[in-house]
Amino acid sequence: MKYALFLGCAIPIKYPGFEAATRLVCQRLGIELVDLPFSCCPPPTSMKLVHYDSWLALAARNLCLAEEAGLDVMTLCSGCVNTLKEANRTLKQSESKKRRVNKILEEHNHRFKGTIDVTHILDVLYQDTIVERLIKETVRDLPMRIGCHYGCHYFRPPGIMYPGELSDAESYVPVQMDHLLSIIGMEPMEYSRKFLCCGSPLGANADQDAGYAITQTKLQYMRDRDIEALSVICPSCFEQFDMGQIVLGRKTKEKYKIPTFFLTQLLGLAMGLSAKEVGVDVHRIKARKLLDGIGIG
Amino acid sequence: MTTIKLWKFFAREDLYECYQCARCTGSCPAMEVAPAFGPRETILKCLNVGHEKVVQDERIWLCCTCNVCEDRCPQKIPISDLLVALRNSAARRGNIPGRLVMAIELLAKTGRSMIVHQLDEMRAHHGLAPLPPAPVEEIRAILEKTGLREVVEF
Ligand code: SF4
Ligand code: SF4
Repeated sequence: MKYALFLGCAIPIKYPGFEAATRLVCQRLGIELVDLPFSCCPPPTSMKLVHYDSWLALAARNLCLAEEAGLDVMTLCSGCVNTLKEANRTLKQSESKKRRVNKILEEHNHRFKGTIDVTHILDVLYQDTIVERLIKETVRDLPMRIGCHYGCHYFRPPGIMYPGELSDAESYVPVQMDHLLSIIGMEPMEYSRKFLCCGSPLGANADQDAGYAITQTKLQYMRDRDIEALSVICPSCFEQFDMGQIVLGRKTKEKYKIPTFFLTQLLGLAMGLSAKEVGVDVHRIKARKLLDGIGIG
Repeated sequence: MTTIKLWKFFAREDLYECYQCARCTGSCPAMEVAPAFGPRETILKCLNVGHEKVVQDERIWLCCTCNVCEDRCPQKIPISDLLVALRNSAARRGNIPGRLVMAIELLAKTGRSMIVHQLDEMRAHHGLAPLPPAPVEEIRAILEKTGLREVVEF
């Protein structure tokens, strides 16, 4: 199994620990990763809102690189997967948009053909063969009450992100992360408004306090269920919860902190990697006590 | 100043499909914490006062782009397309938050959305090789051609 690894911007630059954990975990699970000279995706929360044509062309360039390598793209971020999946679909469906984009890209020797698919690491990990391998590679359980936060752009709008799964009567909500974490002995908890936004785009674009007010709401629902830790699959969501609890804590003096992890960090810990190897040592909300409590140093 | 053809992004007739039931708005996180229009009111305003007025209002930038509204809409109105189109149009008229201008400038100049600072050491701490530079020249050239300068200088 082989993918073009789309790191995005925030992970390799702000949270390289997630990248380290991901590379180690993929290696153990037999997922081969190929690095290509990608640019920013660019985000559905910035470039797409400001200049759609630029958003589409840059996304198309990234897709072309993977096409040229003959590989499907695996992203690590809810925003990247949203951009690249939608752009891929749009360009596959619209001849006129494809023509317009290719006119620009051809000057740089790229041509969008529509030959590959885009996926998120969560969906890669959720395949039967990988799950079987994960069960074999797991050397210790992580018994914690875990909350999952998927990140809006990973699954919405469902008509674009999960068209096959959608019936007219219902919308799509993901379960993959909860299931994977139960394999490594975690206790995935339901909590109110589990699919509420983290607040990050509002904070980044317009009003930081308002963004954190959403984060605070979500954290409170988790506290109501005595959730001990949070698992995310997007670096922006991560920052919103990790840094957010520091910023919110200055005002609220809240003592009940919820350490946040990137999914592959948790899988890595279950495979026997150390806290340092998966990079949790640099998180703002420290997980040390929690990990000590289950015998992981 | 160039404008965009808003109704190429979102079919104008779809505005009339809206029941004004507010099922979308009931789940809108931006409305809970900020004076955002929310999806129902955005549609109503497009009908009542016209999109030309709507795109002049800075409150349209309070939307999180969470797309919950589109998910919840019983009429399957592609609301996210409307919200993207309105903001594209607003940006061309100079209605764009300063932070977003900075973010786009950074992206256009560096090919990435994050400022790189003491990166090699940080990556080495995690046992990772340095990050190869982004193909800046190619990205700039593409963004020149797509007309990003209509909105942001870079
Ligand atoms: S996408 Fe925007 S308008 Fe729609 S529910 Fe989310 S915040 Fe509200
Ligand atoms: S849910 Fe759909 S039909 Fe109801 S108010 Fe919102 S946009 Fe209109």
